[in-house]
Amino acid sequence: MPTNSFIFYSLQILTELIRDVLYFPVWWYSRGLVNSAKSLLNFLADKQKALGLLIWIKNIFRPMYAQYDWQGMLISFFMRLVQIIFRSLILLFWLVFSLAVIIFWILFPIFVIYEIIFQFL
Amino acid sequence: MPEEQNNKISIQFITCPTCAGNGKTGKGSACKNCSGTGVIAIYAGRFYYSNLLISAPAIKLRHLKKSLNFILNLSEYIIGLAGLLALAYWVYAASEKTQTLEAFSFWRAKSPLILIFWIGLLADMFVIYRLSEEEAARQKITKPKYNQTAEYDSPNNWSEFNKIKSKYKVEVSGGFSPAALNAVEQAFALANRARHSQVRPIHLFFNLLKDEGAAAIFSRLNIDAVKLIAKLKNQLLAIEAGTEPTELSAEIKEIFFEGYIGALNSGQKKVEPAHFILPILVRDKNLSELLYDLEIDHDKINNVIQWFIISQRLMDNYRLYRKASRFKPSSTMDRAYTAVATPILNHFAYDLTLAAKWGRLELCVGRVDEIKEIFQALESGKNGVLLSGPAGVGKNMIIGQIARAMVEEDVPKMLRDKRLLELDITRLLSGASAAKAEERLLVIIDEVVRAGNIVLYINNIENLMGITAGEEESLELSEVLASAISRHNIICLASVSRDNYVKYIENKPLGDVMAKVEILEPDNNLAIQMLESKIGFYEAKFKVYFTYASIAKAVELSAKYIYDKFLPAKAVDILEAIAVKVSEAKGINSLVGVEDVAEIISQKTKIPLTKITEKESEILLNLEEKIHSRMIGQDEAVEMVAASLRRARAELREEKRPIASFLFLGPTGVGKTELAKTVAEIYFGDEDYMVRIDMSEYQRGESLEKMIGSPEGVLGYLTEAVRKSPFSLILLDELEKAHPDILNLFLQVMDDGRLTDGVGRTINFTNCIIIATSNIGAVYIQDQIKAGAPLNSIKESLINDQLNKYLRPELINRFDGVIVFKPLELKEVESIAELMLNKVKRLLEAKGIGLKYGKEAVEKLASLGFDPKFGARPLRRLIQEKIENEIANKVLADGLKRRDTIVIDGQARVSVEKGRKL
Repeated sequence: MPTNSFIFYSLQILTELIRDVLYFPVWWYSRGLVNSAKSLLNFLADKQKALGLLIWIKNIFRPMYAQYDWQGMLISFFMRLVQIIFRSLILLFWLVFSLAVIIFWILFPIFVIYEIIFQFL
Repeated sequence: MPEEQNNKISIQFITCPTCAGNGKTGKGSACKNCSGTGVIAIYAGRFYYSNLLISAPAIKLRHLKKSLNFILNLSEYIIGLAGLLALAYWVYAASEKTQTLEAFSFWRAKSPLILIFWIGLLADMFVIYRLSEEEAARQKITKPKYNQTAEYDSPNNWSEFNKIKSKYKVEVSGGFSPAALNAVEQAFALANRARHSQVRPIHLFFNLLKDEGAAAIFSRLNIDAVKLIAKLKNQLLAIEAGTEPTELSAEIKEIFFEGYIGALNSGQKKVEPAHFILPILVRDKNLSELLYDLEIDHDKINNVIQWFIISQRLMDNYRLYRKASRFKPSSTMDRAYTAVATPILNHFAYDLTLAAKWGRLELCVGRVDEIKEIFQALESGKNGVLLSGPAGVGKNMIIGQIARAMVEEDVPKMLRDKRLLELDITRLLSGASAAKAEERLLVIIDEVVRAGNIVLYINNIENLMGITAGEEESLELSEVLASAISRHNIICLASVSRDNYVKYIENKPLGDVMAKVEILEPDNNLAIQMLESKIGFYEAKFKVYFTYASIAKAVELSAKYIYDKFLPAKAVDILEAIAVKVSEAKGINSLVGVEDVAEIISQKTKIPLTKITEKESEILLNLEEKIHSRMIGQDEAVEMVAASLRRARAELREEKRPIASFLFLGPTGVGKTELAKTVAEIYFGDEDYMVRIDMSEYQRGESLEKMIGSPEGVLGYLTEAVRKSPFSLILLDELEKAHPDILNLFLQVMDDGRLTDGVGRTINFTNCIIIATSNIGAVYIQDQIKAGAPLNSIKESLINDQLNKYLRPELINRFDGVIVFKPLELKEVESIAELMLNKVKRLLEAKGIGLKYGKEAVEKLASLGFDPKFGARPLRRLIQEKIENEIANKVLADGLKRRDTIVIDGQARVSVEKGRKL
């Protein structure tokens, strides 16, 4: 009766543990990487939503405060342009930040391994 | 939420024919046919199976694995921490030696401490890995996507099932919370220890009680856990022990599936132990009977489970909501800055979206369909939606929910990035002439049109109707609004009560341009769930705790006895009143019981408490005895009335008619009115629960108005009395004297149990007892009785020959019983005389004066007062004249003192015996 055997299960647990440790580096560069990339994308989307950048771009030709005379439209256009540039800069900052995190994620294990080896050189 | 309850019906179970759901063949190896699955469930186009392995070694090893994991995690944390400490120590040591920053570049240093640090970092990464894998492995309940169902219906055999794509198959035990898994394992351990060959629902149920969450449900239901456990133990002992190894029964597997699907349908992330309760009760009839004895049924448990889900959802929603609401602007501007400021509108309106953003609106439970209907109406091109429903059903709550949805931007496109403003009509109209109000409304509409990001909500829109500026038949306020809506300039939501809709809005321009959405009163279960969402607030505010039974009772009783208001508002009122009262009377942290609810309902509705607490069954069983303690003779009449009332109380009557209606016939003074009074006292608890109407006052057709009121606001005597105390006995004295038109009213009352008064309100008569008395044929009865005719035949001929001259046959037919009262005999009059003297005695005793009389005195009085024509009435007069007057004279003249005794002798003369001096 293999399903009820204690030894069978103990072995299974042991292999699971070993598999766990061996899988770790693979995970770091596959699923772990995808997970962190996904959460960074969510983070960026959240920032975008908070800044309302797309809304500003979509409405670039619509006058602010419903000022439909030509002066209003003109001022609005430039005002919106300034807003869009300013908000884009902020978003760009967050984009760079996210990229840095991803690069850090990729390089960090290599760096740590190198440092450990370095200790023995 | 109601759909959650219905879903369970359609789950289909398939049991493996080879192993009969065991998952094992004879020798204990896995069944070849189903590869150990045993039972599968099909629900909504998906297949549910469980590969949870439950056996003694499996459980032991699962625990072993858990502790190994724990050890591994612990060592990871320790190594990680040690690395950081090592670095810190190294930095500390380096700072001792040097002043330059250069010296701190640890990545260039070689030291055992730094090695530990780097290894620690590896451990930290390992922690991240383990945590996120654990999170991923902890499979939560996955909600199937819309329309994602398998095409095949049900597989005929297992090989077909195995072929089905894995995306349509759901493994349920992965969705179990640790507590649920624990309960299952414990159940197995229990069965195993008791050598039961199968784990049955009762094993699982027994272990559920040990779980905190499930136990909380039973404590809200106010069940005595000790008693329940003792009873369960008896049931468990009754199961036969065997030698075969313990295994899961097919029923338990079905419970897993049903628990999972139940959790799925109520939007839960995990299967908690509580989700097993209902499926267990469905399968174990003994158990549900046992709970039924403790007055717990399916609905009650379900509502309490919903209660917990609701309070959990309240918190979850709040968190999600906070997250989503960050993006909603908190100013009057929209996100694209295209709106225009609306200073005047802001002055007259309340910003609902802003209130929702700051979490000031209450949670709305249920009402998903209604909100969907509102959105659909808007999407289909209507710019106005009218919520019509009785006051108190939660129209404003629905609007609040829409405001919350708008804050989350979870709304149709036309409502996105907009503000919902409630226009305060009282403010709009106050201190303004009609012309001024119209001007204000025009300005507001202009502002709304220009701003372009505003949705208006007008509560009680009927207040706008009929306000005109200028000449008669000029444009009125509502038409100004109607034209703005019809031109698609503004989006407007409004609410109106159902009566006012018919009266003011229907077929008017405003009614035509707006789509009507009917908001109905919720049923009792939904109302209970609505209340449950509010209970937390009242519990925190008044520091009292509600049992489930008290909430359910409040809903049930208010639904049953309060007619002019609607659920859930009327139950909320009651609950608030109870909370205040209980916290005052019993102090803080006390428990609200069912009897508190009954008391408040009785107070508010003037319904006798005994009716609500149902302590009356005893009274009803000995009704004849009770009546006879007040009334002498008339055995047939008393018996018939008592039987009728018992029938009514056992709910064997038609609910739509009054409790009972009788016609009492007989000469004057034989006890007709007395019996009516006695019934009122015994059945309703007091003689005061009686409305007495002298029908001789209603001899003309015009007096109809006096009876039921008129549209001009005159209140009807009958209708008002019954509206204010729906539980009462209506005594119609001398019925035959009333005008036929008035008698026709009672045709409807006795048939439908309701009457519409002059103002148009429907008055409920289903909790009334109607008793009509009449003297018709009094002489005939006396003659026949003297001639010795049986009572039945007298009744027959009375109805056929005498009554129909005065009353229409359909009216006579509608009475539950026509009861003939016999003339009194001397013996009965003697008993009555004694009763009356007793009454006098009680009155005198209150003054400390005694009354003594012998049998002769009673006989003398009876013979003096007896008159076959007038019954007991002359006796009353006689006792007044001969006894009470005499006593009064003596009190005034002799100065009757306390401890004196009045003696009535055999000649019915009154004398005084002086009391002893102190």
